[in-house]
Amino acid sequence: MSGAAAASIAWSQCGAADCIRLSGLAPGLGVEVRPQLEVAAGGFPAMAGRLVRDGDDVCFVPRFPFVDGTSYTIAVGGATAAVLTRPRPQQPASTEVLAIYPSAAEVPRNLLRVYLWFSAPMSQGYAATHVQLVDAASSEPMTGAVLPAGSELWSADRRRLTVLLDPARIKRGLTAQLQAGYPLRRGEPFLVVVDDGFRDALGRRLRSAAERRYAVGADERRRVDPGTWTVFAPSGGTREPLEVEFDRPLDHGLLTRCLHVTGPDGLPVAGGPAPGPGERSWRLTPGQPWAPGGHRLVVDPVLEDLAGNSVSRVFDRDLARPADRPRPVCGVVAVAFCPR
Amino acid sequence: MSEYGLRPGSADVQSAGPITFGPAGILFLADNGSATVFAVDVADPGRSAGPEPFDLADVDARIGSYLGCAASDVDIRDMAVHPVSHSVYLSVQRGHGDAGQAVLVRIGVPDGAVTDVPLGQVPVAQTAIGDAPGEDDQRQDVTLPSGDQGEEVTYGGRTIRILRRPIRTSTVTDMAYVDGDPGTLLVAGLSNEEFSSRLRRIPFPFGADVTGNSLEIFHVSHGKWETAAPIRTFVPYDHGASILASYTCTPVVHFPLAGLAAGSKVVGRTVAELGSMNQPLDMVSFVDEGEEYLLVANSSHGLIRIACRDIDGQAPLTTPREPVGVPRETKDLQGITRLANLNGGYVLALQVNGDGRRHLRSLKTASL
Repeated sequence: MSGAAAASIAWSQCGAADCIRLSGLAPGLGVEVRPQLEVAAGGFPAMAGRLVRDGDDVCFVPRFPFVDGTSYTIAVGGATAAVLTRPRPQQPASTEVLAIYPSAAEVPRNLLRVYLWFSAPMSQGYAATHVQLVDAASSEPMTGAVLPAGSELWSADRRRLTVLLDPARIKRGLTAQLQAGYPLRRGEPFLVVVDDGFRDALGRRLRSAAERRYAVGADERRRVDPGTWTVFAPSGGTREPLEVEFDRPLDHGLLTRCLHVTGPDGLPVAGGPAPGPGERSWRLTPGQPWAPGGHRLVVDPVLEDLAGNSVSRVFDRDLARPADRPRPVCGVVAVAFCPR
Repeated sequence: MSEYGLRPGSADVQSAGPITFGPAGILFLADNGSATVFAVDVADPGRSAGPEPFDLADVDARIGSYLGCAASDVDIRDMAVHPVSHSVYLSVQRGHGDAGQAVLVRIGVPDGAVTDVPLGQVPVAQTAIGDAPGEDDQRQDVTLPSGDQGEEVTYGGRTIRILRRPIRTSTVTDMAYVDGDPGTLLVAGLSNEEFSSRLRRIPFPFGADVTGNSLEIFHVSHGKWETAAPIRTFVPYDHGASILASYTCTPVVHFPLAGLAAGSKVVGRTVAELGSMNQPLDMVSFVDEGEEYLLVANSSHGLIRIACRDIDGQAPLTTPREPVGVPRETKDLQGITRLANLNGGYVLALQVNGDGRRHLRSLKTASL
């Protein structure tokens, strides 16, 4: 596309940098580039960048990269000389939702947290509009169920998103809880739905939407108590897995890091840990055969269940209930076992 | 800046987070990508400014024009005002995904000129956030990086490059600096795993270890239920002796800052609730005719003004019914997402209109 003040204005390269190249530019004319915006651009600053002479041409090299799909107006001598649109690569969608946790079929009414795992790094800024809870019976979105986080909670590589249900509606006694009620209702199934408009890190839609259905059970308000777990001790001298069954589903994210095993020498037992189905169990397959003698399943007291109750405290403590008192925890909690 | 431990270097911010000014024009920037707080000498070029108001329409579109992107690609994550020049600093994330980058934007006062603040080859210091993934957290996501990031590993005779990254992260929700000797940077955060209420006190100049100096701030709802929930936003007042904090679950809680031992359990006093379907967004303190006030921006109601003396006189809430708690005035000022002191006579607000356009607007403190 060309204007009167320059014979040719086009996307190009200046060295290794993307640029807008102006050929045949009349001498002494200023060049300014602006993105086309939804609002009137009167008095708006020009795009940051520098003009580089390249032979007979002048190149505008931006300080910040051009954005795919964005149109730019190039003004020469104060008059619009060209409008160029940055092409948007048409790449097929390939990213998908790998898993939605909890994987249990039923969650407590006071469910606090959901994890979404994606197959590739994702873009921030889409969670509020592309993740929702949906009433299974009516297919209507459950407005206000999810905490409208100012900052989305991603893992460092943006493949796992943590979604919190609104704690103001879960914590007892708050006006929000009394006025709006729990986000979930016992006996009324719901879906966690991720629609395909969620963008991956390359700006592509998801290959398909994903959802997981849950039944809603009773509230869970007890502290997580490793003393209630069932430990199936493996046979000594073998590499049989250690199996631990819980009294309730535990938080998938925390479960994966809060349990480990130490051997008779007090050193960690290396191996492959894995949460079991529905996060109701955990197993450790050792790298070496089990040594004889006493072992310990070591529990980090921050380990929580699906309702945010941890080993050290309940999510919202009823001050009148002695059983709700925080557990005095010094470092870790351990369950002893001995290979058979 | 060497007296504050700043040395030439780069603040390589991956994900724009909260910002706040410290001593001598040093700006603290939280990077929610690397769980790091940077202290940067922003070398503000402005002169000492006066008491005039400052307004700027379509601030996001202006920034987009300068950064070469649509207004929808400009995510303004926090705002701070330089204490001398009153230049407005905005923590901006430009774009999304792999194309996203953190930019520190400066808006000149009074001319409204938009520039970006260099973060490379500047005086800088940094500290890791205390509850970032521990060394004993073995869980790592393994991905295939682009370029020369990561490390080389060999599987079955084939060598590939992989990148290991922790799964657990901590997102800074708010920061504030309290002057002293040494000064203290207060940092509130939100874990992507456990539900906790940790407020870190980081001495400045930064030292080696900040992990032990954190507080768990519990709060009690109506005398019956006690929770440790993440702090969404907070503001020190009374020369840093007190903190007013608002939580993701919306109670507004007071607690003293002075004299709190590290690692101790602190139970704050709930003095108000923001109500249902409402989220705290930002707070600021200001003084008018010798009286200190706090402003609370929130997602559903107008701007809330609270007198500090009323907080001190407010008994803990015992009845879950609104309106209760500390006396407050709700101003007919909707859509305010960020607040900062402009010059004593005015508070600067970032306000989003019903059509989604964002403006900077000065609010006269005497009229609030």
